[in-house]
Amino acid sequence: MRRVAIVGAGLTKFYRNTQETPKELAYEATKMALDSCEMKLSDIDCVVHGTAPDAFDGVHMKGEYLSDGSGAYRKPYMRHFVGGGTGVLSPIHGWFHVASGMFDTCLVVAEEKMSSAYPHPAGAFLTIFDHTTEQPLYPTLIYIFAIEMNRFMTTHGYRKEDIALVAVKNKKNAMDHPSAQLPAEITVQDVLNSEIMAWPVNRLDISPTSDGAACVVLAAEHVARRITEKPIWIDGCGWSLDTAYWTTRDLYYPDYLEVAARQAYKMAGIKEPSKEIHIAEPYDPFTYKELHHIEGLMLAPRGKSVQMLVDGHFNRNGNLPTSPSGGLLGVGNPIAAAGLMKVIELYLQLKGTAGKRQVPGNPTCGVANAWGDLMQVGTVVVLRS
Amino acid sequence: MALIERFQKTTDIGFWEGQIPMSYIYTVGRAGEKFFRELINGKIFGAKCEACNITYVPAKIFCEKCFARLEDKYLDVGTNGKVYTFTQCYETYEGIRKEKPSIVAVIQIDGTQGFLVHWLGEIDFEKVSIGMPVEAVFKAKKDREGSILDIKYFKPIK
Ligand SMILES: [Zn+2]
Repeated sequence: MRRVAIVGAGLTKFYRNTQETPKELAYEATKMALDSCEMKLSDIDCVVHGTAPDAFDGVHMKGEYLSDGSGAYRKPYMRHFVGGGTGVLSPIHGWFHVASGMFDTCLVVAEEKMSSAYPHPAGAFLTIFDHTTEQPLYPTLIYIFAIEMNRFMTTHGYRKEDIALVAVKNKKNAMDHPSAQLPAEITVQDVLNSEIMAWPVNRLDISPTSDGAACVVLAAEHVARRITEKPIWIDGCGWSLDTAYWTTRDLYYPDYLEVAARQAYKMAGIKEPSKEIHIAEPYDPFTYKELHHIEGLMLAPRGKSVQMLVDGHFNRNGNLPTSPSGGLLGVGNPIAAAGLMKVIELYLQLKGTAGKRQVPGNPTCGVANAWGDLMQVGTVVVLRS
Repeated sequence: MALIERFQKTTDIGFWEGQIPMSYIYTVGRAGEKFFRELINGKIFGAKCEACNITYVPAKIFCEKCFARLEDKYLDVGTNGKVYTFTQCYETYEGIRKEKPSIVAVIQIDGTQGFLVHWLGEIDFEKVSIGMPVEAVFKAKKDREGSILDIKYFKPIK
């Protein structure tokens, strides 16, 4: 296998209701990524695209629809899709293409435009549930997550007001992110006082509906070294899928993630993740999910992540900054693009070009994860400078 | 990039309204025929994998762990269980506020490794707890039609 680096990145602003069509969003992110490393479309050998349910954009087979905006005209092109886990599978899918030796360069594009769906994009999730045993009960994603959060809290004796600190931290971090949709300085009380959606989940525990796109440029080592003095290497990839019967899982702990993380850490030669990893972008569509994923990534012992959060361990200037980007809670959640946004944050941080968001201490190793499908897929990448 | 409000009046921007007009008739499947027909009889059926010592609920035709065929391993698992976890929801799947919130729970059926998602009834939300014993409450026999909704909800066992 060849070593593969990220050499460029682009990210649109995340909004609810962009004027741009999905393919225009993809174009803006892709153009920005190429410009960031002074490459032209003719320098690109192949393209991979990550985008989540067709039902959001309302374009059936939207991989094909998005191909031209993603720079794939007359190039080898392939779409991948694992629901919410898509955006972190995206760089892995690109990595296959380059590590295999088939291609020297690859564009990795992720896009989502959720605002086109009426009356609410959440309606698209009804049909992911079992059509005979679950759909008649009209499940919503929020209630499924509330059910998981309840089990996580009850098992570990976590308090809702402590978990709310994730929203406070991430929305504040997002104030320094130019793409952010919901940056804010809020308090724990604001979270607790926000509208109750499905106990114990309140409005401010949840990431928003968003439109946006993201792109990274991958290159094989010999090409990467010509493009930039500081390539950022994809040193670990992991992915795994737990049972499709979501109710049968131990909802308090994300096994799907631990399996994927172990695979990525093994590939990267990481033995003690909590010591060797300097910065993390755990997937945070809900407040509790960041903590759930910190534990699944083995960056905190089970049942200890909340105390570490309260102690400031995960702040931007803490021992292990998590979601320094602002995460999905602060930057926004255009599904596939949000996952890739997290990878882009690691890229910028490890390169030392994250500007006002730069974490101190010259981090050299970071991990990002995403989660999705029927709440059972884990996707993990480890990057190093 | 332009930021626009949620389309209520679309006077400032070009747009096109559309749907993906498809509807579906889903078969319940081979295992589903057993499970849903037995609901009409007021029974909940699972399927046991002897090799893995796992009883799945609802019944299924195969074990996902060892891939054994389970079609001759269907069994009545009773109608009692315990609350595995729960929530109370305030919005519909279309994002509309409900007039009255509903309690939803994952219920582990006793003696099995199987679970059903369903509503809880005849209890106040404040009184619900993880581990609480509950039983299925069925519709009147004449109203049952082989649907998961033949169970009205689960209620606490006194
Ligand atoms: Zn088995």
